[in-house]
Amino acid sequence: MLLEAHKVSKAFGSFFAVREADLSVDEGEIVGLIGPNGAGKSTFFNCLAGDTVPTEGKIVFAGHDMTDASPEAHARAGIGRTFQVPATFEDMTVLENVMVGAYLRHPHHNDARDLARQTIELTGLRTQTDLPARSLGTPGRKRLEIARVLATAPRLMLLDESLAGLTPTELKEAIGLVRKIHEKGVTIVIVEHVMEVIMTLARRVLAFNQGHVIASGKPEEVVRDEAVIDAYLGRGRHTHRRRST
Amino acid sequence: MKIPAVTPTILLAAGLLIYPLIFSGPFYLDIGVTFLLAAISASAWNIVGGYAGQVSVGHAMFFGLGAYAPLLCYTLFQWAPIAGIPFGIVFSIVLAVLIGIPTFRLTGHYFSMATIAVAELIRIYFGTWDLVGAAIGLQGPATARGWWDLTFRSELPYYYIFLAVLAVLLRLTFLIERRRFGYYLRAIKAGERAARSLGVPVQQIKIKALILSAVFTSLAGSLYSVKTGFIDPESGFGILVSVQMVIIAALGGAGKLYGPFVGALILIPLQTATNTWFGGGGTGLTFILYGGIIVLIARYEPGGLFELWERIAPRGWRRKNAS
Amino acid sequence: MLLLQVIVGGLLLGAIYALFSSGLTLIWGMMNFINFAHGEFVMLGMYVSLLVVMWLGGGPAAFGFAAAFSLFVLGVFVYLSLIRYVLRGPMLSQILSTFGLALLLRYTAFWIFSANFVSLPQTSLSGTLNVGGVLMPVPQLVAGVIAILLTIGLHLMLTRTKVGSQLLAVSEDRGAAMLMGIRPDRMQALAWGLSAGAAGIAGALMAIAYPWSPSVGETFGLTAFVVVALGGFGSVPGALLAGLIIGLIQALSAFWFGPIYKDIIVYALFVALLWLRPQGLMGKA
Repeated sequence: MLLEAHKVSKAFGSFFAVREADLSVDEGEIVGLIGPNGAGKSTFFNCLAGDTVPTEGKIVFAGHDMTDASPEAHARAGIGRTFQVPATFEDMTVLENVMVGAYLRHPHHNDARDLARQTIELTGLRTQTDLPARSLGTPGRKRLEIARVLATAPRLMLLDESLAGLTPTELKEAIGLVRKIHEKGVTIVIVEHVMEVIMTLARRVLAFNQGHVIASGKPEEVVRDEAVIDAYLGRGRHTHRRRST
Repeated sequence: MKIPAVTPTILLAAGLLIYPLIFSGPFYLDIGVTFLLAAISASAWNIVGGYAGQVSVGHAMFFGLGAYAPLLCYTLFQWAPIAGIPFGIVFSIVLAVLIGIPTFRLTGHYFSMATIAVAELIRIYFGTWDLVGAAIGLQGPATARGWWDLTFRSELPYYYIFLAVLAVLLRLTFLIERRRFGYYLRAIKAGERAARSLGVPVQQIKIKALILSAVFTSLAGSLYSVKTGFIDPESGFGILVSVQMVIIAALGGAGKLYGPFVGALILIPLQTATNTWFGGGGTGLTFILYGGIIVLIARYEPGGLFELWERIAPRGWRRKNAS
Repeated sequence: MLLLQVIVGGLLLGAIYALFSSGLTLIWGMMNFINFAHGEFVMLGMYVSLLVVMWLGGGPAAFGFAAAFSLFVLGVFVYLSLIRYVLRGPMLSQILSTFGLALLLRYTAFWIFSANFVSLPQTSLSGTLNVGGVLMPVPQLVAGVIAILLTIGLHLMLTRTKVGSQLLAVSEDRGAAMLMGIRPDRMQALAWGLSAGAAGIAGALMAIAYPWSPSVGETFGLTAFVVVALGGFGSVPGALLAGLIIGLIQALSAFWFGPIYKDIIVYALFVALLWLRPQGLMGKA
């Protein structure tokens, strides 16, 4: 078990954004997190990434307790994440952005630069290597974020809606990229709205609603689950409904 | 014929070296020395304020400590003033740590406000503290007891000493730019949250940057008081000192190696001119001008003249000079 | 008895601190922005009062209104011409913008009015009340009481009126507010107007009771920041409580240790706050 989240809850005042969520991820898996807006999946995601400290529960990564570890500690341990709204370093070039990631494991300039170049090659950004990040469009920025975090040599990558807002062609390329990364041995947890991504990439899916995990299993099963459909259609109930005759 | 990229630097260095030999009158020499000192202070500020984006508007606190230390050592123990320089540096480092640790955890405004508050606190307190001369201040040796007192008649030796210090500081900044520390500084400025997620130890880096900046600012202060032979709360810790550092760096280009240099190149002659034209009321009008310039920079060109240059200079020339 | 007098004096001054600090906390809570020129707004309010008295012979009501109104306009102007542009930019330009503005305003005031301390000529508010042996100068009393009322009024306006809830909506969630038909840009301009107006009227109240020079802006700015930090960013009731506390501490320090400590204690308090409790009195760790 590479990552284990056990009964994780996060409350803001008296409002529980996440309530007793469990998640186990094996090395080499691709797990998807779905759910309507406000369902708590992003908050849960931030708990996994170390951006937020859970109010209750435990998160263990590769045997280490990461529950209240800082984001920096997460990166060092081998957990990388992207941001829903790309947070690239706008004034720095693509190469420089990726180098910041590369420097985590390679303190020396030349090593970091070489690794950065390789990562840029892998993620298809070679033609933009020396351009400032601000000159990239949103798809380019998302790709850059992925490259940058990849350079930190993560064992687990948390992707936060990294494939949203792409054209069909871009989406195909992005899915291909995620697959390539996965094939290199990186475990992936992906929060996504785009169903195509979930269906084609994820082997296992967790569905959130109102802070709870309401369903989990294979993608085909979860999307047909009554409770999940209810959640998306806004009926908001998280109890299973029996089919009545 | 290709011109090597290092040529501008060599030309610059040569120009600075021979400047006092060409413009040898005391007036020109004085501007030159003032310019160098301003460039040193602003370049020191640049490390934490320009590269890391942590805007200190009270850097005078380090300058003042560095300025008082040599003259205090002279006044109390009759030492050569330069022996006091390390003390100024040590006090500045301690102060940097005391301020950095609590404020860098919080948003940037706290740090900025803290720097104003602490600088003012020290300035007012020194004005009442007899040990450091209270409002009157301290003086250095009137005549040299030996070369080590560094009390020269002409400003020429100061010019070359300051030039050497500036060269060391710029060289250090250049090295930082190209290594991990420099990349991390810029990442912090560009996006702390993202930087953290990539493993950048943000708190540590900020404090290191502040310490480095404080050390050189303190040194600049020491150079100032050794040269002038006099210091008081206003000239050491006054807001003019802090503002000047910020505006020079921001005007030329905060976060750029030669930004402060360019800023000083423009502002020091300008300041000398306004002081001459407006006479006694010079200080007040200088501040009005400074305030206006700062607002304009913030509004239209936060990257300073360097960024302006990068935007309008012809592409071919720019690419040739790119690192 | 003397101690009691000092305490009351401190609280009355603290009430004025509370008033102008509410303006600062409003902006901070709404836009995550610190106005380094806020103290100068107070200072300008004082000088507007002086001018109204000198040129128009107006009384407290006249210059109070003039200060509030002129600073309101200035606040909106500053927002529209400067702030809304730097809000989208890097931290450096945000901090530099109002810091530069502070210098501009402060030294223009020095240039126009000189560095001498001035005070308003005797107004209709004069004399001293004797309440159970405690001497309270009428100007201080009136200024302090009005300041408290206005601060409470501001709080009520924010929490009870439609406009107030619109302002709060924008500070909570810009996107949602826009969907509800509220224009964030307008609300932010209004907030700046209110903030500066509060500072202006606080200045007028201050002018009634205390002498000043252009240098007070810097001190008030820092005082406002300490009050806001102590009271919790974004909280007007917090600013009220913290303002009174700061005024009290200042008065007692000056009384026990000497007048020079009046300012030092504020700065020292701020540094202590940063170290020990940056979230303020009302905040969460």
